[in-house]
Formats: sequence, C-alpha cells, structure tokens
Amino acid sequence: MLDIDKIQRLIRMMVENDLVEVSLRDGEEEVNLRRPGGTVVQQVAAPVAAPMLPPQALEAPPPAAASQPQTDDKEADLVTIDSPMVGTFYTASDPDSPALVTVGSSVSPGTLICIVEAMKVFNEIKAEVAGVIEKILVKNEQAVEFGQPLFAVRPS
Amino acid sequence: MFGRMLIANRGEIALRIIRACHELGIETVCVFSEEDRGADYLTLADQTICIGGPAPRDSYLKSDRIIAAAEVARVDAIHPGYGFLAESAQFAEKCRACNIEFVGPTAEAMAQLGNKAEARKLAKKSKVPIVPGIEVLPENEEELLAEVGKIGFPLMIKAVAGGGGRGMRIVHSKGHFKAMLNQASQEALGAFSDATLYIEKFIENPRHVEVQIIADNHGNVRYLGERDCTVQRRYQKLMEESPSPAIDSRTRSSLCNYAVKLAKSASYSSAGTVEFLIDGKGKPYFIEVNARIQVEHPVTEETTGIDLISEQIRVAAGEEVSFSQRSIQPKGHAIECRINAEDPAEKFRPCPGLIERFRPPGGPGVRVDTHAYQGYRISPRYDSLLAKLIVHRATRDEAISTMRRCLREFEIAPIKTTIPFFLKVLEHEDFISGKFDTGFVVRAFENTA
Repeated sequence: MLDIDKIQRLIRMMVENDLVEVSLRDGEEEVNLRRPGGTVVQQVAAPVAAPMLPPQALEAPPPAAASQPQTDDKEADLVTIDSPMVGTFYTASDPDSPALVTVGSSVSPGTLICIVEAMKVFNEIKAEVAGVIEKILVKNEQAVEFGQPLFAVRPS
Repeated sequence: MFGRMLIANRGEIALRIIRACHELGIETVCVFSEEDRGADYLTLADQTICIGGPAPRDSYLKSDRIIAAAEVARVDAIHPGYGFLAESAQFAEKCRACNIEFVGPTAEAMAQLGNKAEARKLAKKSKVPIVPGIEVLPENEEELLAEVGKIGFPLMIKAVAGGGGRGMRIVHSKGHFKAMLNQASQEALGAFSDATLYIEKFIENPRHVEVQIIADNHGNVRYLGERDCTVQRRYQKLMEESPSPAIDSRTRSSLCNYAVKLAKSASYSSAGTVEFLIDGKGKPYFIEVNARIQVEHPVTEETTGIDLISEQIRVAAGEEVSFSQRSIQPKGHAIECRINAEDPAEKFRPCPGLIERFRPPGGPGVRVDTHAYQGYRISPRYDSLLAKLIVHRATRDEAISTMRRCLREFEIAPIKTTIPFFLKVLEHEDFISGKFDTGFVVRAFENTA
C-alpha cells in the first residue's frame, strides 16, 4: 500500500530542492515522481580539440511550467495562477515579512498570494482560485511578464 | 548612446527598429501580445516581454505595462514606432518622468503639433500657407455661419484630435452643414475622446506631398526631400514615391523651407513629416505634421542614403544629426507599394489567415521590409500591412519597370493581397504620366461597373 504521506513529503522535498525527477524503490514498492519544470543540471564534456578542462555545470533558464508537457497524471490536475501584469514578483508584502504563501498553503479566491511591483506601485495579487499551492514557479524579485505562470495550484 | 532599447510596437516596424538598434550596438527588448507570441521577428530581439492579450487596448496601448516592462528590463529608452502610442504626448511624458528616454519629440511639441488646429495657428504665425479655414468655431450659430460663408463650399469639417485621414466630413452645401457638424462632433468624441472640430476649405482633387525632416536637441533641423503620397484610397496611403512628379524645384524648395520653419517654431526634435496639399494650380497648403516616424520612411532612406531610424535614435541619445544639409542630394527615384492583406476585388476587404507560400522579390535596387514569412498567420487584430516593397532606380520609368517585375515575382498565397491592384496602377496612363490626384484610385478603379 503506497504511503500518501511519504509521497507528499517527497513532493515537498522535490519542490524545495528544485528537483525534476525522483525514483525510489523500497522492497516491492516503487515510486517515480516527475515534476515539470525545475532546474536541470547538466555536465558538459570539454571539446576534444581544446585543452582539457574540468566539466562545467550548466543551469538552464527557469522555464514557464505551463508550457511543459504534463507527463505525470497528478500534474494534469493542476491549474496555474498567471501574472496579470508586467513587473517584479515579490513573495512577501515587505522584505521583513514572511512569504504570503508557501507550498502547501490553502488558498481561496480572495487570498493574497504575492505582490507584483510595477512603476513603484505594489500590486496585490489574489489567488482567484480555491485550492492548495503545489509549486511556486518564480523566484522572489524575479521580473515577470503578462501571462507568466506564478503558482501551480491543486484546485479543491 | 543607449545600452538597451525597448520597442513598443510589433510587426515590420518592430523588426526595422531591432535592426537599427543592433547596428548601433544597442540591446533590444521587444514587447509582444499573446497574439504575436511565436512571431519570427521576435527571435531577433535580445529579450521579449509579453505585455497582454490580443486586442491592442489590452497590450500595445497599455502604457503602464509597457513602462513596467521597460523598468524590469532596465532599458534606457523606448522606441514607439508608428501608430499605437507613437503620438501620445502622455506616454512620452510618462516615459521621461520614469527616466526612460522616448525616441520622438517632446511631449510639448507633440501636443502642439498633434492638435491640428494649434498646428494651423503655428503655421499662420510662421507665415506658412494654410488652407483657408476656421480654427476655433464660434459658439454662436450666426457667427459660425457667417465665417463658413466666407470660406465657401465645399468645405471639410475635421477633428482637432484626429489626423491621418480620420474624423473628416465633406460638406457640399449650407443645407447639410448643421447635420454634418453634429455627426462629425459625435464621431470625433467617440474616436478621439475630443469632440472639438475645425474647418478647412475643401481642396478638390489635390496632390499630397510631404517633407521628411529630422531635428536634434541642438537646434539643427534637416530636410530630406519630399514624398508624393497621392495614390490613396479613403485617405489611406497605398503608394509613395520620391521625388514627386508633380512639383517643380521652386515648389520643392518652398515646401522644404516651410517644413523647417514650422519645425523650428515648434522646437521640434526627432523625425517628423510635414504634410501639404497641392491644388490644381500647383499652390501648396500646409495641412498637418506627423510627429513620428512614418510607414513610408524607406522611400526617403533609399533616395538620400540616410538611415532615419538610426538618426532618430542618435538624436534621442543627445547627439547632433550626423549629416549637413548640404550633403543631402537625393538621387534617383524610389517607389514604395504597401502590400496589404486585403482583397482589391472585394473592396479591399481584409484577408487574415495563414500564409502558405511567401516568395519576396529581389535584385538591385529592391528592398522588402516585412515581418511576414511562409507559415506566418496574419492576425485580424492588427492592421493589414504585410510588407513594404520599395524600389530605387535611376529614373522614374526604370523604377516603375522594376516595381512591375517585383510585383510579378512576389508570391503570397493563398491569402489575397493588394499586389494585383498595384500592377494595374503601374499600367495606368495617369500614373505613368505622373499627372494624377488623390481622386485617381477611386476614379480609375472603383467607379467602374
């Protein structure tokens, strides 16, 4: 019998560590979790003609999760909250406050989930959906464009 | 010089500006709407930012979002292109208030020249000939009718906030005047949020000749010759050429001097176009100033060899215009055809849709400015301009001949375009002779059974 709690903890760990894929086998139990998005860490071999250099780790730019194919059944149920404007994304109302929401937070349509600042005006962004935050798709102080997915929510 | 520029426009002009920026070593940030997502020209920008939904009012006209994009991308300047916010004094002011340079004139110059009645007053002061008219309509009906009587019929009722051929009504007799005045007022309010009107005597079947100017912030104003834009339909330009076959060198001189005078009196800077009507007797009348870069700017670039977008960017960055007036010696003859996605056989009905076949022409003296390509989907949301086909040869006859060849080579399918229409124009004796007026297109092609 699969342990839902264990799986939820795995999901949280993946999100917190920005992992793309986790495979676990414990005796007869096997869990494969794949998460669209996240940072891909690649090893690149040095070109043959050049002098030998240690392999470099490359970071791919943060992708928009909504544009990735939904490979996992669980992911297909998620909805994204997209930015209604262009600006700078902030997770909290001010630098000294804690984040307005985190992974696992329950939200309802009126819940304040983030701030997008443009031209010195701090715009409060509301969830507009009811559910649980599964992923935060952008980083604090990241520039966001119109329509850019900010959060993935599992609707209730 | 700017390090990074935001392009607040789309399509062919956005591409044009990206190219000029790259030649100047300026990084480009191009905004786009959801409708334009995936358009090929965007891949040439160093960065792109989505600013809204398909409708212009949800994206390209959203000045706050555009400035927000400029801020997050940390640009030094914004180029507005033409249309959209290019002649919004408010937008220009907002940009500068946010320490972002606006590639265009000052908000003051824009406001002064953008109000057509104010521009007329300025012309009067500068002794630039204008069409007889009334700038401020008397409130008192009797007074108004008396002044109208002095102007005589037919006359034209125009919106002060209008321009580009919009918000105009021709009145042929006193009996229709009051009704037309009310209609024009309502329309102006709806289209430009300003019901204020002015009146001009109607010049029958004029020619339309405009002068390209560029001015810097050091008091230098240069003229770059004229363009003849008489091939029009419902006040929309279809073809432009330079030099104008309709004017002699004395008139040319006068027009250019008037243009410079007007620019100086408005403390104008950046690129601009001063438009004139030439009546049947060859007499010129100033009508309006377009305080922006125009669609047809390539015609002047070809005859003068000056990169107008580059100059615009330079003067916006505080430099002086890079050439002397003396060095401007227009050469040869250039013609531009605006290839629109419209069906000339169906009253120029717009034809959006997928371009399955796209083969532009080429060869010496041939320039194609376009954002379109095979596989591109033309949106119904924006204007129908697909490509600008510009030809530059030593003489007008050669330019016409080369343009004919190019139009025959240019394949765009299956959507309908104005290419067949242009082929007809280039075969018409009136066009070939150079003796035609703004009524030419309608008379030659639309008043037939």
